[in-house]
Amino acid sequence: MQPEKLHKLGAPVVEVRDLWVDLGGQNVLQGVTLSVPAGQLVALIGPNGSGKTTLLRAMLGLQKVSAGEVRLFGQSSLEAALPRIGYVPQRFNLESNFILSVREFLALRLRENRRWFWQSHRQIDQRIRGSLAEIGVEALLDRPLAKLSGGQLQRVLIAFSLLRKPELLLLDEPTAGVDLPGEQTFYDLIAQIQERHRLTVILVSHDLSMVYRHASWIYALNRVICCQGSPQQVMNAESLKAAYGIHVSPYGHHHDH
Amino acid sequence: MSPRTDITMITEPFMIRAFLAALLLAPLCALLGVFVTARRMAFFSDTVSHAALAGVALGFLFGLADPTVPLIGVSLLVAAAMYWLRENTELFTDTIMALLLAGCVAVGIIILSLLKSRPADIQAYLFGDILAIGWVDVGLAAGLFIIIGPLVFARLNELSLITVQEEIAHVCGVPVRRLNYIFVIVLTLTVAITIRLLGIILVTSLLVIPPAAARSFSRNLRQQILLSLGLGLVGGVGGIVFSYQLDVPCGPAIVVSCIGLFLVSLFLGRVRQRRAFAPPDPLGRNL
Repeated sequence: MQPEKLHKLGAPVVEVRDLWVDLGGQNVLQGVTLSVPAGQLVALIGPNGSGKTTLLRAMLGLQKVSAGEVRLFGQSSLEAALPRIGYVPQRFNLESNFILSVREFLALRLRENRRWFWQSHRQIDQRIRGSLAEIGVEALLDRPLAKLSGGQLQRVLIAFSLLRKPELLLLDEPTAGVDLPGEQTFYDLIAQIQERHRLTVILVSHDLSMVYRHASWIYALNRVICCQGSPQQVMNAESLKAAYGIHVSPYGHHHDH
Repeated sequence: MSPRTDITMITEPFMIRAFLAALLLAPLCALLGVFVTARRMAFFSDTVSHAALAGVALGFLFGLADPTVPLIGVSLLVAAAMYWLRENTELFTDTIMALLLAGCVAVGIIILSLLKSRPADIQAYLFGDILAIGWVDVGLAAGLFIIIGPLVFARLNELSLITVQEEIAHVCGVPVRRLNYIFVIVLTLTVAITIRLLGIILVTSLLVIPPAAARSFSRNLRQQILLSLGLGLVGGVGGIVFSYQLDVPCGPAIVVSCIGLFLVSLFLGRVRQRRAFAPPDPLGRNL
């Protein structure tokens, strides 16, 4: 897709203007500006420590910024934007002493359903059913959240996000700790969901081949936006060297694409 | 020790107060304990309770007959200091807690040593004493129970979400920072008021043992909360009975009865687990 085409797609869902973030005396982000139009799957790539996660956290108000602005859905109020956002964080460890089942975890997402504690499983399942079938987590409902594998947890987190019908989905290295076949299935699932729900997706990823296959636009970040463009434009040796500082093979160049 | 009958156990006013305190505080601690253990805050509660020794000592220093007010005051102050140090220094949380715990105990002991007449019931604060539980303590326990019990259930979604992960909770619209402050205040007040029942040294056990015992038997949070409440109640009331029958401090008696329940649940949990994973009988008998 050509850049002009991308930016003609209507009002941007996410706009970041000249964003600076200071972490422990280091400028992790140095004047980042980017724009994500509605309905696109945008990937953020870059080496470790390049500020990808920090940028995502800044968009969500989880990170204090020293200068610059983040606008979501055309407004600067984060509170108004949060109900329209789904977020899948990097893999995290949950204390195994906390026996929250997948069913209960999903029920926590339904704001109007605060009484899940007193409801039967069938009553809860009726409310979470829509998201369950789509993501294929029905079999996990009775499992404790803390005992899921990496891939299972990521699917549950996607199902959790979709329950509130978000317009924007942010994923931070969602396949860290997931095996290769699982990773591929996961990205296919994200692409399907994105298309079906006309979601805007921002994906932080290390996996260049997956990004090449599924993203409609790529921002390569290394404290600043080093380059941006369609996968075909960004996935070449020069652009990747600009972002990663060393020669990186754009091994994701699948010929079927 | 004079022989005691069951009738006097439930008719003596001090026993009525002790039972009431246990009935109110033990389930409350067990309920909060589910989140305390999941959020690894047991050491926090230990620090707050040990800090109360400095409060008790200050109370005696100022000649107060009942040091409840300085006890609660110092506990809240230490909880606030812990939060401030965590947010404004680069020290590890457990270093901060160890520092405050040792500091407060040291100050408490120095003050107590300087007092001309050693207060007789300091042991009651260390290990709990059924005779020392007054109507004021029961009133405080009731107030706490009436406010905090429903509050936890009303905010169960938010509390569970911040226990899973604070970032996810934030994106779900939970005011994470405010809720964390409220949780710390609630926990500090509960620990401070439960000290009368269990004593400074053992109060954390009522937050930790019932949820741990419930864990081996639970498949989900609802079961863990309900079982923890039940086990806390049985352990608390059972401990008061032991304390009365054996004439021992009620803190250790409650802890021992809770540990007994924990061991039983561990054994039964293992048996249940083994049954669940047992290979099917080759002859197809329904064992």
